[in-house]
Amino acid sequence: MARNTFRIDETLDEKSVFKFNHLMRLGKYIRPYRREFGFTFLFTITSSALGLLAPALIMIVMDEAIPAGDVRLVLLLAGFMLGTIILNVFFMRYRIAAMAKVGQSVIRDLRMGLFEHLQRLPFSYFDSRPHGKILVRVVNYINSLSEMLSNGLITVITDLLSLGIIVAMMLMIDVRLSVVSLIGMPLLFGVIFFIRVKNRKAWQLISAKQSNLNAYIHESIAGVKITQSFAREAENEEIFADVSDSVRKTWLKGVAIIFLMRPSIEHISIFTISFLYVVGVGMITGGTLTVGILVAFVMYFNRFWMPISNISAFYNSLVTNMSYLELIFETLDEPVLVKDKPGAVTMPKIKGRVEFKNVDFSYEEGQKILDNVSFTCEAGNTVALVGPTGAGKTTVVNLLSRFYELNAGQVLIDDFDITNATLASLRGQMGIMLQDSFLFSGTIMENIRYSRLNATDEEVIAAAKAVCAHDFIVETENGYKTEVNERGSRLSVGQRQLISFARALLADPRILILDEATSNIDTRTEKALQEGLNRLLQGRTSFIIAHRLSTIQHADLIMVVDRGQIAESGTHEELMALTGDYHNLVMSQ
Amino acid sequence: MRAVKWFLPYVMRYKWRLIIGLLINTVNVGLMLVNPLFAGLIVQNVIQDGQHELLPRYLTIMIVITVYRSISRYFFAMMFEHTSQKILFNLRRDVYHRLHMQSFSWFDKNRVGDIMSRMTGDLEAIRHFVAFVIYMVIEHVQLYIAAVIIMSTISLPLTFAMLLTTPVVIYAALKQSKGVRPAFRNVREQFANLNSMCGENISGNRVVKAFTQEAHETEKFTQVNNDFFDANMEAAKVRIKYFPVIETCAALLPWLLLLFGGLLTIYGHLELWQMVAFGGYLWMIDAPTRIFTWAVNDTQNAATSIDKVYEMMKQPIMVESEGEETFNSGTVEFKNVSFNYTPFETSELILKNISFSVEKGQTIGIVGATGSGKTTLVNLIARFYDVCRGEVLVGGVNVKAYNLPELRRGISYAMQDVFLYSDTVEGNIAFGVPNAPMDVIYKAAEIADADNFALEMPEGYDTIVGERGVGLSGGQKQRISLARAVATNPSILILDDVTSAVDTETEHRIQSALAELNNDSNRTTFIVAHRLSSVKDADLILVLSAGEITERGTHDELMQQNGYYAKLFLEQTEVTPYGA
Repeated sequence: MARNTFRIDETLDEKSVFKFNHLMRLGKYIRPYRREFGFTFLFTITSSALGLLAPALIMIVMDEAIPAGDVRLVLLLAGFMLGTIILNVFFMRYRIAAMAKVGQSVIRDLRMGLFEHLQRLPFSYFDSRPHGKILVRVVNYINSLSEMLSNGLITVITDLLSLGIIVAMMLMIDVRLSVVSLIGMPLLFGVIFFIRVKNRKAWQLISAKQSNLNAYIHESIAGVKITQSFAREAENEEIFADVSDSVRKTWLKGVAIIFLMRPSIEHISIFTISFLYVVGVGMITGGTLTVGILVAFVMYFNRFWMPISNISAFYNSLVTNMSYLELIFETLDEPVLVKDKPGAVTMPKIKGRVEFKNVDFSYEEGQKILDNVSFTCEAGNTVALVGPTGAGKTTVVNLLSRFYELNAGQVLIDDFDITNATLASLRGQMGIMLQDSFLFSGTIMENIRYSRLNATDEEVIAAAKAVCAHDFIVETENGYKTEVNERGSRLSVGQRQLISFARALLADPRILILDEATSNIDTRTEKALQEGLNRLLQGRTSFIIAHRLSTIQHADLIMVVDRGQIAESGTHEELMALTGDYHNLVMSQ
Repeated sequence: MRAVKWFLPYVMRYKWRLIIGLLINTVNVGLMLVNPLFAGLIVQNVIQDGQHELLPRYLTIMIVITVYRSISRYFFAMMFEHTSQKILFNLRRDVYHRLHMQSFSWFDKNRVGDIMSRMTGDLEAIRHFVAFVIYMVIEHVQLYIAAVIIMSTISLPLTFAMLLTTPVVIYAALKQSKGVRPAFRNVREQFANLNSMCGENISGNRVVKAFTQEAHETEKFTQVNNDFFDANMEAAKVRIKYFPVIETCAALLPWLLLLFGGLLTIYGHLELWQMVAFGGYLWMIDAPTRIFTWAVNDTQNAATSIDKVYEMMKQPIMVESEGEETFNSGTVEFKNVSFNYTPFETSELILKNISFSVEKGQTIGIVGATGSGKTTLVNLIARFYDVCRGEVLVGGVNVKAYNLPELRRGISYAMQDVFLYSDTVEGNIAFGVPNAPMDVIYKAAEIADADNFALEMPEGYDTIVGERGVGLSGGQKQRISLARAVATNPSILILDDVTSAVDTETEHRIQSALAELNNDSNRTTFIVAHRLSSVKDADLILVLSAGEITERGTHDELMQQNGYYAKLFLEQTEVTPYGA
């Protein structure tokens, strides 16, 4: 898979211009709140109807009360109207509360769904794009949907309804004039269609550019120390200005299109109305129309454009948000490459025999990382993987936890094909110490406990002691309660390694995987650590990747990995006797 | 208030555009009143009185006015968008610039997600304010004023009656404004939390999966997601309280017309046509009243964001580039340097009384236990942090006297915590020398022993590596980071445990290539390492222990001293096995 960067626009490959199934999907998120929707709709309709009463009441006052000088009638009508206004207050309160709830709930649910899906996505998803681009989908894009999904939707439904009523009224008054007044509609639809097509393209581009900007901001902040150390601030600011400017430019293109909507409607409206007057006056002269009907008709016609303009505004926001929605749904549709097979069973308690059978693997097509790798190690063995950088050592251990799917072959633990086990039950029995010792913001205690959330404080401390981290931890400001900050930036890299080591150990794993676990730790600490570790590892299988050969010489099995194959394997003595790659490596140290 | 003072110049830069826009809009608002007038004339003169010859004239005027008004409004709106995008651009650029002036210690303390929120959500709220709220408010205020003027020419008493609700509207809006502020602040904070939590989850996805903590992460997320929801609902509650009040005030306008208009007319203080005319202008005060509550809401939202961004912008820069000195030579001297990451607290010093001096072209090895202060020490050379006591001199000049970028351009780091950009291999190596010719890149890669694997990648040097170098092995990342440091051809090269994930054979190759290069270029090199074989040939080896230099000298001298170094050296040539 090609990697994306902040320089590359994300594109969606698809044919259809407008995705109705996206709307249907969105509908699913709204469904749980249909009760709120129903009531709000009802209340909104009632409110509008009550609002329509006002002109009628004023008309009565002017036509009847005033000529008759009837003060009582004025007061009566005013009292009645006040009653409707007060009633409306309650409707309004309900509507605002309900729509806030619906809007916020839908985005909360959508965001939750997206996050849960992200948890299931494989490493390769996160590896192939800047993290800022993933983040913007979960956080920013979803936010923008809230207004459209609550008030926007209600308004448009209400407007459609009132549009229907108005058209019906117009038809009732005069069919001929109605036909005349609808003459501008094809033009309106044409304009809407034109704007939609242009608008959609424009907003897809805008969201892609925003995504780039987000990615660049994210990277800039994460890598700011590197930027400063190379004194490259000015250069970065220039790139940032470029990326930022392309958002600005595409944005302006986008709004230039959207803003066309209103003048278009105004133009069509004024020409239609002029035409209506001309035809109407002609008809009056011809004697087929009365003055009163024309005046009433024009009044309704004026009301006709309000909902039209609201609906087209909603439609535009739909198109705009659709570009965000597409990206959100794209993420939700991202296939879960590594998942439990149907009928997957719980991995039995691992004894620790591991077998690779003719394993082929590549991250990207055509570039084989492992080529027909086979090996077996017995339960309780310590297996060391050595070999040049990039030979495939980390890949071997990654496949053992099934972080990726094989291209061919099998990985067996205790003769059990790991693809038949549930991921949770498999990985739950592994303790993995990754090369990159990532810590979460939180206390040291919380970070160690991450691998087994129900571990007691004593167990956490025991694990820290086992990896010789206890001493430095108690010396920090608040001991185990010290906050390590994001990525553990408070601590030295070696200290972070020790903590993530303790974390791996606390998982009480049946198989322990140490990927360059101690590369940034001083050799003396490392030695003490190993002594403690050896006791703990009794009876457990462990895989160790290390460059300091001194640390692995007593392993039960040493495998030299080179160019995706096991070049040599055996014990230290056997391999030394072979005088091959391993021998050369040892001699060079 | 200070935040507003800081923000205002961004807007005022474009004051002429805004003023011209305002004038155009004033004309437009005036023209909005013309069409209903002609519509009335058509009904009266053409339809009722039958003066058909007037119709084309009236219609032409109406069409011309509408065309002019809608087109000029389009340009007015676009101009506002242009201006607001410019303002946003300037603002974003300044925030970005300011961020890059902040010191390492600032970034140690502030979460990426918080900074992201400032630069995305908060700036977006400000943009919305400038692009939309300002002109909405202006337009409606103009409309309101026009309506009041016209109405008062028709009937003063009825105008006063219509304005009866205005104090209530203003009062409610002020209350809402005050009430919604803390709610919005909370929303912004929860937004930042959401950003941080989610960002961390994405960066740490490997750890999450390795320990199958997806459920735990989801639980954490549910928490921040719900907090964000609650914060938004709290803000909505304020709206629920005041919004109906203002809306009701708008709904009371026709009621006031009915009641007062009716009574005044009956008692003979008003003509019927005056009441009809009032009815026609009612929407002009109705719309501004209704828009008021939204304007207040969005303004407060933007004000909160302005506050938040300003808070970030005003934070003091701990390590400021004040000096003018330019880089001259690669000698380094530490004079009684003591250092602590939290200088104002009394907690223990990370470095205590460090003194040493290095000649140009020398190689210095720094060894010591985990957490002994090695990285901290080398980070002081390029002034990533300021010392608490003592002096760091580069080229005989205190680092504080330098122009900071100048100083740093002379020094290159290959840091322990490797960070690569999601960019091509070439782009990453050329990071410090963006316009370097390819042979410089190749040469640097060769020295770092990165050329072989780079060429073997699918697209060679044009292969994109993931953020933080995901997809590369630890050793590969380190070698690209080393190549990046070498490519700038620095006077001082600092290698902080840069070959820890590299196999020993490769390390030897790298070291000899580096040694060769250093001899040619007279470069000062600092090597922090755990494998003593890496520092054995250094001109000076410093042994750090708990922030102090406990031993110093060449390899041979240190071996003779028979201290920590000598013991460690012997240990490392022994066998220390796993699984024995």
